[in-house]
Amino acid sequence: MSEMTKKMQEIAREILEKGEAQVVIGWEKGTFWYLSPPAFIDKPEDVQRLVWDDFCHNNLSKYLVDLKNHEGKTAVFVKGCDSRAFNRLLQDKQIDREKVILIGIPCPGLLDQDKAKELGKNSELPKAQKCLECQYPNPLVYDYYLGDKEALNEVAATKEAADYSDVAAIEAMSPDERYDFWTRQYDRCIRCYACRNVCPACSCRECVFDQTRVGWIGKANNSSENQFFALTRAMHVAGRCIECGECERACPMDIPIMLLNKKLVKDINELFGEYDAGVDIEGKLPLGHFDKNDPEEFM
Amino acid sequence: MKTILKAKLPELLEQLAKEYKVLVPAKLEGVSRFAAYRENLELALEENVTMPPKDIFFPQTEEMYKFKSKDQSLEIEEIPQDEKLQVIFGVRSCDMKSIDCLDQVFLTKGFVDPFYQDKRDKSILIALSCVKPMESCFCTSMGIDPQKGQGADIQAYDLGEKLGFEGITERGQEVLSKVSGMFAEEDAAIPSIGEFNLTADVEGLPEKLKDMFDHPIWDDISRKCLNCSTCAYVCPTCHCFDIASEVRGEDGTKIRCWDCCMVDEYTVMAGGHQPRPGKKERVRNRFLHKLRYFPERYNMLLCTGCGRCVVKCPVNLDITNVIKKLQEA
Repeated sequence: MSEMTKKMQEIAREILEKGEAQVVIGWEKGTFWYLSPPAFIDKPEDVQRLVWDDFCHNNLSKYLVDLKNHEGKTAVFVKGCDSRAFNRLLQDKQIDREKVILIGIPCPGLLDQDKAKELGKNSELPKAQKCLECQYPNPLVYDYYLGDKEALNEVAATKEAADYSDVAAIEAMSPDERYDFWTRQYDRCIRCYACRNVCPACSCRECVFDQTRVGWIGKANNSSENQFFALTRAMHVAGRCIECGECERACPMDIPIMLLNKKLVKDINELFGEYDAGVDIEGKLPLGHFDKNDPEEFM
Repeated sequence: MKTILKAKLPELLEQLAKEYKVLVPAKLEGVSRFAAYRENLELALEENVTMPPKDIFFPQTEEMYKFKSKDQSLEIEEIPQDEKLQVIFGVRSCDMKSIDCLDQVFLTKGFVDPFYQDKRDKSILIALSCVKPMESCFCTSMGIDPQKGQGADIQAYDLGEKLGFEGITERGQEVLSKVSGMFAEEDAAIPSIGEFNLTADVEGLPEKLKDMFDHPIWDDISRKCLNCSTCAYVCPTCHCFDIASEVRGEDGTKIRCWDCCMVDEYTVMAGGHQPRPGKKERVRNRFLHKLRYFPERYNMLLCTGCGRCVVKCPVNLDITNVIKKLQEA
């Protein structure tokens, strides 16, 4: 058992025994060695299910939206990306800070699940793409912190500048090439909406894609409807996407969804100034307020 | 048994494609699925395909008919169907069984679905035996023989370097006779299947579930579910659909599309009442349908152990684990 797993179990036990929270959300081992799905722990005797390893991908803050009307408190483990998701939800007043206990974990970057499946247990595995590009591996907000602050600095030191070369490659395409590229990607979309449902920025009480009687989107699976879905989803999370990459990991059809999200992050940075969602909760949202210096190319 | 070198398979398919529409497991844009055979298609025969053969008979979006309404008149225009027979090569045993499940729904108990029937009647199925289970497979737990596809017209066997073929139905024999010159006739031992990594004990489960509708276990099972439709849409047996009209001015098309019991709209009533408001009710319905309601109506489980949902679920809500929890509850 890793040192971190031991610490997780200890703190979860303590929190449950003291009654500080009624449920602790963490990760546990799944069906295969490269899966560590979410776990809900209600009883101190169940804490041994909790693990911390290279595959704790799921962004747990999403579940706080489910639990917002529950009585009592929820404790949740947060990596850097989970903590940004928490901040975002807090900023949108989706959750009550008082009802959540955050347990921060410095994240060294997780491993690529698909590669793990493909290459097997005894191979050198690459980090997940989303982790390679992560700017905030350390939790930005927490009530408890597992690990020492030195480790925090060490992890922080590994972060590299944001790399938009993949977005630039798409931008460099001609409009026809670009259209062809995205048509091919989204023609295989099965519209299961896993990308939306796993996304901590998708917290609308009623999603536009579920308003079928209004008919914003047709039910048919075809290029037109799928691309309408793709673009609308991306635009709706623009300015709120915390780049946890869960949409792309969850996609059963391996659609490069983060490319769209990153394009919007890049555009926002260029149009409204550098902005990282879920970092500073006091600041104004780039797309959520009007500034008279905003670019108005269309006027 | 009729045998052919695997290397010669494209030639065989090429030959068949002259006469039939031929569908084969292939990798297209990174996803493996059944696709119309063409030269240089990247065949996917190492493992079962990500998308099951379900959509060949029951497409995600099916145009049922077109209509034109003007003043008081209404014209209905049928959609012409493909007349050609289709040969579907490389269907694994789990997916063969899933076609049996779909047949039950769309062709029995006095309800015949013409759209499904039409495609089904035109299909000649070549089942393909498995040599090595994938780590997510558990078909044997579901009473399926991975080396014999139920309802196959032709059974193909993976013999390592070669493929073996056995005509089973008259239609199957006829297909083989069209390419008989390409085969050698020899005795061949069918390799034994390797060990299964996953198992599920379904003994007595449909019966046990009769009293478990209100069991607290459903709260526990459903908690991590995201209520997306991934499991249902990669499932070879899930068959729920929704019918809608696409209308532009006077012209319209009736379409039916896959639907899923995980989503809100699936059960919402006229007037807005939602009898399955949350994760618990929806997840419970999914598993009760597979493990109790379907066996009650058709005397078979609605899970074939293909393992697709186990692999694709974003939160690893694993049906074998659910079965274990239900048995232990």
